[in-house]
Amino acid sequence: MINLKAIKGKNGWIFACLIIVTLVSIVISMTVGPAKISYGDIFQCVVNTCNSPMQDMVIWQIRIPRVLVGLVAGMGLACAGAILQNVTRNPLADPYLFGIISGAGLGATIAILILPNQQTLALPLAAFLGALFSVVIVFGIATLLRNMNHLLLTGVAVSFMLGSISHFILYLGDPFATNRVIFWLMGSLTRVEMFHFYLIAAMVVITLLTIFALHRQIDALLLGDESAESLGVNVNKLRLILLALCAAVTATIVAYCGGIGFVGLMIPHIVRQLVGVTTMPLIIGSALVGGCFLVWVDVLARSALDNVEIPIGIITSAIGSIFFLAIMYRTRKTG
Amino acid sequence: MSHLLSVGALSWQVDKKSILNDISFDLTSGDIVGIIGPNGAGKTSLLKCLLNQHKNWQGEITLNHKPLKQHKPHELAQIFALVGQNSPPIFDLKVYDVVRMGLLPYKALFASDNHRDKADIIQALEKVGLADCKNQFFNTLSGGEQQRVLIAKALVQKAKILVLDEPTNHLDIFYQHQILQLVKALNITVIMTIHDLNLAAHYCNRLLLLDHGNLISNNSVDKVLNPETLTQVFGLPCYRDDDQQNHVPRVYFSPMPATQQVELHNQKQGEHS
Repeated sequence: MINLKAIKGKNGWIFACLIIVTLVSIVISMTVGPAKISYGDIFQCVVNTCNSPMQDMVIWQIRIPRVLVGLVAGMGLACAGAILQNVTRNPLADPYLFGIISGAGLGATIAILILPNQQTLALPLAAFLGALFSVVIVFGIATLLRNMNHLLLTGVAVSFMLGSISHFILYLGDPFATNRVIFWLMGSLTRVEMFHFYLIAAMVVITLLTIFALHRQIDALLLGDESAESLGVNVNKLRLILLALCAAVTATIVAYCGGIGFVGLMIPHIVRQLVGVTTMPLIIGSALVGGCFLVWVDVLARSALDNVEIPIGIITSAIGSIFFLAIMYRTRKTG
Repeated sequence: MSHLLSVGALSWQVDKKSILNDISFDLTSGDIVGIIGPNGAGKTSLLKCLLNQHKNWQGEITLNHKPLKQHKPHELAQIFALVGQNSPPIFDLKVYDVVRMGLLPYKALFASDNHRDKADIIQALEKVGLADCKNQFFNTLSGGEQQRVLIAKALVQKAKILVLDEPTNHLDIFYQHQILQLVKALNITVIMTIHDLNLAAHYCNRLLLLDHGNLISNNSVDKVLNPETLTQVFGLPCYRDDDQQNHVPRVYFSPMPATQQVELHNQKQGEHS
């Protein structure tokens, strides 16, 4: 199985620090929020019983699911971004560029309009189906064009197409439904439950195991398709497996957390500076930094303003755009 | 003598246009074979058919006494190592990571590198004289150094045949000789496409001359570098003046007036259409 010797040395220390930071972040983030909860209360609840039913509810039904879903969602988005960037050889690749968010948006729009009273189940399911629908269309068109390099451009085109259908439906429909869809698209961890954590965590584990299995093949793509083929890699099959995997994990996250942009784009760029560009360290690093990042963004979302929660996607997009300007500034200085 | 690679009546077409026509030749262990010919002669297409990267070719290719199509991709990668025209990496790959890719055909899923793999990588880098650069970024090396790193990757791949696609492209004269001297010193079987006929004469022991997908000549360097044949194939007057010091054939071409070039070009096109 996976030999951890591969990640020793300088990277080993970085990973050890990242694991400690992640664990500490999980604990600290559980104490932050509108209800005052101390470290002692959390310890008491985890090892014994909570001091009050109210505390029991806040810790077990709100804080823990929220922090854990934030962690695995961040892990999944960052890993999907890192893999997409490596397999498409495009540093700007992001899971959302497949039209996943607009596909999920269309699904959510239809669910809100058709089944307004069944939204706990119908909305995430419809969003998931919408996201997959968009991915299938993008793959289908790229296959027809016989050029997987056009995948991201096709994604952008399909994204606009599905977005315009959603906007048309919303324009003709109920303004209340419009508000709900827009709010959902901004991304939030307010309504997550432990069940969502299990589901997203399972998808993230499947993704990580597949990537660990295929890490050498993915590395080979970094020198181009021809070089990878000469090393015995079936490039088209590998690319299809990995793209489908990224789409599935992102669609699951989008279905329960809404649109959280820029994590998949931003985190791998930071991690490459820390641990290098090869797949194993990049994925482990992206999972840890991505998870940690989203946990803290959610802390900010629930504590920055009194009595109001900021949608998490607004914060990730704001940080992401500043990050990109910073990268451009740095490139200008060095290049 | 047994042949490592045997090609019989190989043809390849794209959209009913013939790219390779009835090509037959053998490759024996220890050969250094150069594929020469003008642009569009089918040199790189021939290499891609050998690597099974072009799938719908016709004819017979036997590799290690087994038909090429019966080899699994990882088995092919254990026989052929390609040093080709790579796309420049978009991320900062280290030299060590590039050479490490050569381990791929021997590794199972999930497998990581053991001590022997690491020793092999360092040894390969030492052979190409770049052991000190293992932590440098591949992108920051010169063209010649990058080619040497790719040769080190091929050594880690432990392939029986080294396939080089225009290995001296974009290199200055010093690096052109350095790369080919290195290749020759490795003592393995080599098949390469090469534009510079005099370099080919220096380092190859056999040449395949291609023109419009046809194999015009398959023989020793001395016989293939025939001025009359080369004048016919390249469309410019060719002269031969052998290098007496190194006992190597040497050819040069003299330019002709532009109008005459156009006439000859049209005549050649007419012959092949």
